Amino acid sequence: MPEATVVLRNPTGLHARPAKVFAKAAAAARADVLVDKDGREVNAKSVLSVLTLDCHQGDEIVIRVSGDGAEQTLAELVSLVESGLGEGGGGG
Amino acid sequence: MSTRLSGRAAAPGAALAPAFVLAPPALPDLPETASGTPEEEIWRLRSALERAEAELRQLAETVTATAGEEEGEIFEAHAEFAADPELERLAAEAIEGGSSAERAVVDAFDSFRVLLVASDSEYLAARAADLDDVRDRVVKLLLGWSTVGEVPGSRSVIVAHELTPSQTASIPVDVIAGIATETGSPTSHAAILARALGVPAVVACPGLLEAARAGVGIAIDGRSGEVVVEPGPDERAAIQQRAAEEERRREELAAFRDEPGRTADGHRVELAANIGSIDHIPAALEAGGEGSGLVRTEFLFLDRTTAPTVEEQTSFYVEVLRSFPGHRVVFRTLDVGADKPLPFVEREPEENPALGLRGVRLSLRRPDLFRDQLRALLRAREAAGDEAGRLAIMFPLVSTAAELAAARDTLREVAAEERIGLDAVEVGVMVEVPSAALGASRLAANADFLSIGTNDLIQYLFAVDRLNGAVADLGDVLEPDVLGLIQRVVEAGHASRVWVGVCGEAAGDPTVAAALVGLGVDELSMTRTAIPEVKGALRRLTREACREAVLHAIATAADGGEARRILEERLEAGLRS
Repeated sequence: MPEATVVLRNPTGLHARPAKVFAKAAAAARADVLVDKDGREVNAKSVLSVLTLDCHQGDEIVIRVSGDGAEQTLAELVSLVESGLGEGGGGG
Repeated sequence: MSTRLSGRAAAPGAALAPAFVLAPPALPDLPETASGTPEEEIWRLRSALERAEAELRQLAETVTATAGEEEGEIFEAHAEFAADPELERLAAEAIEGGSSAERAVVDAFDSFRVLLVASDSEYLAARAADLDDVRDRVVKLLLGWSTVGEVPGSRSVIVAHELTPSQTASIPVDVIAGIATETGSPTSHAAILARALGVPAVVACPGLLEAARAGVGIAIDGRSGEVVVEPGPDERAAIQQRAAEEERRREELAAFRDEPGRTADGHRVELAANIGSIDHIPAALEAGGEGSGLVRTEFLFLDRTTAPTVEEQTSFYVEVLRSFPGHRVVFRTLDVGADKPLPFVEREPEENPALGLRGVRLSLRRPDLFRDQLRALLRAREAAGDEAGRLAIMFPLVSTAAELAAARDTLREVAAEERIGLDAVEVGVMVEVPSAALGASRLAANADFLSIGTNDLIQYLFAVDRLNGAVADLGDVLEPDVLGLIQRVVEAGHASRVWVGVCGEAAGDPTVAAALVGLGVDELSMTRTAIPEVKGALRRLTREACREAVLHAIATAADGGEARRILEERLEAGLRS
């Protein structure tokens, strides 16, 4: 199963709006998507499950994808996380 | 007999009004076992979840229109909860096991609730209340109950155990004099709502529900966290005086919202807003922002797999320019580094993105992206018309005069291709690298303005990663040597007759703003919400007083903390309204 480890760069981590952005992107994929923090793995398409991981800026998460278009979905999700989940990582 | 309580201050202001006590939203005993077949129960479950989602999306729209976007987003999040696939899966599983739809939904919500409450995060614990709110809505829908709550008839302090978003959304905003809750935190819903409405709030106030009764007077102070139930004559007078002070302060700020920024002796200082998204513009205008000293164009480029086209960029830039008629709008060209990789920019990973290929360095290496952006900015100026704001272009992370010259050459070429004149377009440099600050004279000779980006300048001056909490205490903008360096940049700019601005977050702190004005800074661009306070403070201070205070701080202070004390002491009359 394709997987990738990414570090959350955006200020709020996987909370509030970024959690929603992440879960929505995962839900849009046909493949199954799991997200894992410190060995606890949940359905990435569920914003409630993602919230319970309590991921902060600087935390490392593992994204695992299986099924249709897994590689592409994984690449898209990784780049979404790295781009700051709609929040950026600072500036000014 | 009055009862004095104390809670956590959650939104500034003071209020004295009758209490309106919201009963906790109690659920009745739920049917434990299913009345229909599992298929029927699952169908009931799905239609209740769908209906809850639809109601919440509708509520989000209404609330966004009446209380603002931040409020509306709460209900958007609630709608997501109602639509959550794991929640539905868990509930359906319980139904298969013989549960009623009601019991299955409650248990599914609670399984998430337990995890949220168990976390150390205050933010997540506060979300448990959101979850309860959605749960109750779904259960009421299953039971065929009304999902609309009770409403006070006249202006009241809303008292509750913890306010749920649904409860507050059903209360007309004009009857809310203040909010007090027994539990909750400054990040909970009641606090966010109060700040959006501009009414005081106190949260986490133990004993509140025991003391407060409907219709009895209650006084709350949202700055100290003080609550008095049934206040006596003296207490009433005190809270009324505080409320009058807050009111006077607010009116004063509103009164000069449309006035230009200036000092008490009439010295002009432009007070502009930093814009990071199109959504920031209404609030910037509301706060009286005089144009923008920093439009961060990055967000047009993030979260996408291909670069935005010239047309897409143009229409966005036109919208921004048209929002600020009569003012200047400074667009910072694309400022991304390896820390914010873009799928359409291939690049080597960098050990140290802050010191790598970013800002204007990247733009000069990727002329295709750079030229598209400059082309879009120039076309936007033509399309926006003469009534719109004036276009200014700022290059980020310039560290040498040669980079500025190369960037200007590219701009000239693009302008020639487009047959657009550059006479009315100001071109400037964001001064955020120490070499640019030290070489400000050289840069000023080839620029129309210099704008100091204090966040990055400090990060590079002190070798401090500003996202690293362990070193957060280093790098105060009021360090005497930082002030001295800013003074040099201002003098270098003025010697070449170019204006000098500051566009870091520091400009939004009234004390820092006064110091910068004292050093001769012509324009301050800041977080939109900081503009009214800074405008108010400057209007009470003379330029000479600011100058004397900041020069004294540079000459005598040992560090930033002492510089702040000196400034606050010498400028006390103006900084405290």
